[in-house]
Amino acid sequence: MFFLSLIEHTLRLPPHLLNLPLDQAIKGELETLFWDKVIANLGLCVSIYDIRNIDGGFIFPGDGASTFTVNFRWIMFRPFVGEVLSGEVEESDAKGLRLSLGFFKEITLPAHLLPNPSKFGEDGKWTWDFNGTELPIEKEDEIHFKVHSIRYPPIPVEQEKDVKPFAPMVITASIDFDGLGPISWWV
Amino acid sequence: MGLFGIFLIYGLSLLVCKVFILRIYIYRLQTNAGALTNFEVLDFLRSRGASTDPTRVIASVAQSEFQVYDYLVQSAACNQTRESINEFLRCCEKFDLAKAEKINIINIRPASQVEIDPIIEDCEKRIHNDEVEDLVNMIVEVLPSSGKTGGTDEETVEAVADQEPMEVVLPPEGKPGGTDEETKETVAGQDPIDTI
Repeated sequence: MFFLSLIEHTLRLPPHLLNLPLDQAIKGELETLFWDKVIANLGLCVSIYDIRNIDGGFIFPGDGASTFTVNFRWIMFRPFVGEVLSGEVEESDAKGLRLSLGFFKEITLPAHLLPNPSKFGEDGKWTWDFNGTELPIEKEDEIHFKVHSIRYPPIPVEQEKDVKPFAPMVITASIDFDGLGPISWWV
Repeated sequence: MGLFGIFLIYGLSLLVCKVFILRIYIYRLQTNAGALTNFEVLDFLRSRGASTDPTRVIASVAQSEFQVYDYLVQSAACNQTRESINEFLRCCEKFDLAKAEKINIINIRPASQVEIDPIIEDCEKRIHNDEVEDLVNMIVEVLPSSGKTGGTDEETVEAVADQEPMEVVLPPEGKPGGTDEETKETVAGQDPIDTI
């Protein structure tokens, strides 16, 4: 679920941070830049793990700030395809479900990746019809799901007014397998 | 065109509540410099000062990191220790599992055969039924369950975190300095508190 990624970045350190020790100032700047942001193909930045190398410190003409080239590692949230994760149901509608992990809420579970004879009831819940037994997916259930794919859609140039906020990282999940779905189904 | 793009990203940032893409240039030296189990991330966050009690506002941990911490604390990782994970890795050598499957098992801690099925690829072909049962029994024995006793076990796990510090380049002396500034901003007139 979590990976370390080694990144190199050229960082401009604003002059008002010059009184701090260098590594602290750079750490603070990197955190402001990367905390809780998504980097395409690397995932969601969770936390800075360490700083490996700081180079440079040049001051370019006309600028009051110094520029450093920093090598550092971030803990990234990036599940691999086929990983089994555990999350909760956030919302459920006719097209499928949306699951959440607390810190990451863009996990879609489309209707075709639910176990085969499933139907959507009027109370807004999906129910799996397993050999005659009805197994519903309740809102408070802890759900084990398998990661089907991860997409990083490009930033849209234009957005209409009332559309949902843009999600830079979308995970498609599937529970079409033995042992997946709410834990209460299999216990 | 570039300027137009930058302006739009700023505008989008007002619309989007939480997560948005940065249009800056970074070099990805190594996309995957190592996989971490949930326990290691939890340990790391704990060593930075995250915890579930109300002193969390003083620690130098961001809101987004707290959300990750809250998720990990109620998952199977909250009661694990380094020794139990090493023990598990030693015991599962004979089953010939892939690295990703081992990480997945440590993170989810399946307690029955049906829960292991989606984790191991081609489970029936690679491992016989009774061996799967052995594997499940071993998991239940070696890895602690998540249970609701997270509160009492946090004391012992934090002791482990103190003894085995992670490889952080930033010197520990830097940390109290960092939290000093935080406390001066948020709680005026209070002595700086030494976080874990």
